[in-house]
Amino acid sequence: MSVIEINHLTKYYGKERGIIDINFDVEEKEIFGFIGPNGAGKSTTLRTLLGLIYPTSGSAKLFGKDCIKYGPELKREIGYLPSEVFYYDKMKVIDLLNYSASFYKKDCSKRIKDLAGIMDLNLNKKIDDLSFGNKKKVGIVQGLLHEPKLIILDEPTSGLDPLMQQRFFELLQEENRKGATILFSSHILGEVQRMCDRVAIIKEGKIIQLDKISALQESNYKKIKVQTSGSLDQNYFNIRGVSNLEVKQHIVSFLFRGNINSIMKKISETDIANLWVEEPDLEEIFLHFYEKES
Amino acid sequence: MNMFLHELKAYKKFTAIWIITLVGLVVLFLSMFPTISREAEEFKRIMQGFPESIRLALGLSVENIGSILGYYSYIFLYISLFGAIQAMIIGVSILSKEVRQKTADFLLTKPVTRSQIVTAKLLAALSSLVITNIAYLGAATVMASLVETKEYSTRLFLLLSMTLFFLQLIFLALGMIVSVLVPKIKSVLSISLGIVFAFFILGALISTTRDHALRYLTPFKYFDFAYIIQHSSYESSFIAAAIGFIAIAITASYIIYSKRDIHAV
Repeated sequence: MSVIEINHLTKYYGKERGIIDINFDVEEKEIFGFIGPNGAGKSTTLRTLLGLIYPTSGSAKLFGKDCIKYGPELKREIGYLPSEVFYYDKMKVIDLLNYSASFYKKDCSKRIKDLAGIMDLNLNKKIDDLSFGNKKKVGIVQGLLHEPKLIILDEPTSGLDPLMQQRFFELLQEENRKGATILFSSHILGEVQRMCDRVAIIKEGKIIQLDKISALQESNYKKIKVQTSGSLDQNYFNIRGVSNLEVKQHIVSFLFRGNINSIMKKISETDIANLWVEEPDLEEIFLHFYEKES
Repeated sequence: MNMFLHELKAYKKFTAIWIITLVGLVVLFLSMFPTISREAEEFKRIMQGFPESIRLALGLSVENIGSILGYYSYIFLYISLFGAIQAMIIGVSILSKEVRQKTADFLLTKPVTRSQIVTAKLLAALSSLVITNIAYLGAATVMASLVETKEYSTRLFLLLSMTLFFLQLIFLALGMIVSVLVPKIKSVLSISLGIVFAFFILGALISTTRDHALRYLTPFKYFDFAYIIQHSSYESSFIAAAIGFIAIAITASYIIYSKRDIHAV
């Protein structure tokens, strides 16, 4: 069963583009990644699903029901974490969480304690006094405390330190094992690759690629920069899978796609002074998609 | 119910401050009454020296400044100004607060309809006003009985005092419709004060014209104290206008708010 079905969803803010003709489904118990640069329309899509904004045309169904018409009823089963969390400053964390829990007809007090324990969150502080990362934790607990069947997260990891990101992902995976479907947006490819079964890539309001992570990983790009000790033949690294090759004196940089072993062998055969291997950022991945289109 | 209680709690301090302000005002004004009534003749002479238009604008009817009801009619103009400010602030706050505090995402992703949210907030605001008025009525009635030694109609005194509540209802509804029509309100205080003072000054100007129809333009002129004292009742045409305005403004607020896009911050 599809938990989320999005059909030709389009949103214009006046004349300004939000999203154009978005179509995708998210299956039950799937972890679905939604990735794209800032302003691409990730938040617009998620906010439409939540009924915060209304579509210009097209529709979306959650659990088989229209997300606008049955919004209030559907939200009982949805947990949402906005990209920027702001809460009633004067309240204590525990009061806010209890207020949040009061909207759902179940006792969440034990769950609040458990989640706060996992996320290392002090419940007795005032929200005003919390750092950005800690506010984010409040958001996480707030979004998960009613054990929702659908978890929607808008750039959930920004502001969390690596340890907390790790715990948070474990938490999500646990929820997923228990049966929750997860849709989350991000502009960090690594975390999407780590977590998701499938991913949709959005750019300028349109979905440009929708694929299984495994398929994307085959097109796994690495950004490699090598500093050699001696001078090197201009075309030494010009092998299959290498693109954007640039040679500046002793520094060679390029994008590599393919079997990582082949390039490592190539590198090991030269005398290198320094080496950088990075995940290419999204822009570079998108460049790749543009190249394919043209 | 949870939202209503949350909102009510959020207005606790606000309500307390306004109770202190309004009660303080009426106590201060009424405590000056014995002096003024003793010197009433003197006072009248001074007042008669003023041009008539100024007297009208200030709401001074010279003849009965010596009686508690006459004096009260005069000072009430200023009490109603403060009351209107309170109601306007709370009205503007209701729907703009979540946007300004950026908590709209929190509330609107909960399993409630937007109408339920508006209702809870409106009822909480209304409760704040009702509590304020109960405190005000109590203080004003006690104070009046302390300062006035002669007989006077308590019923009329209450009838006059209750206009504070009705005036506040009008400004509450006005504030609400303003908050849904103006997309991003940065400062509730400045917009509230601006609008209330505009109506207040308009009221003063209209007083000088004696044009009956113009009184519909500002809520400050809906309750004519001379009429109320004379007839022991409110003017039904203005009551109808007030009810009509409140009904339209609140219904429109519900509709506009329910259809509005809640933008990310």
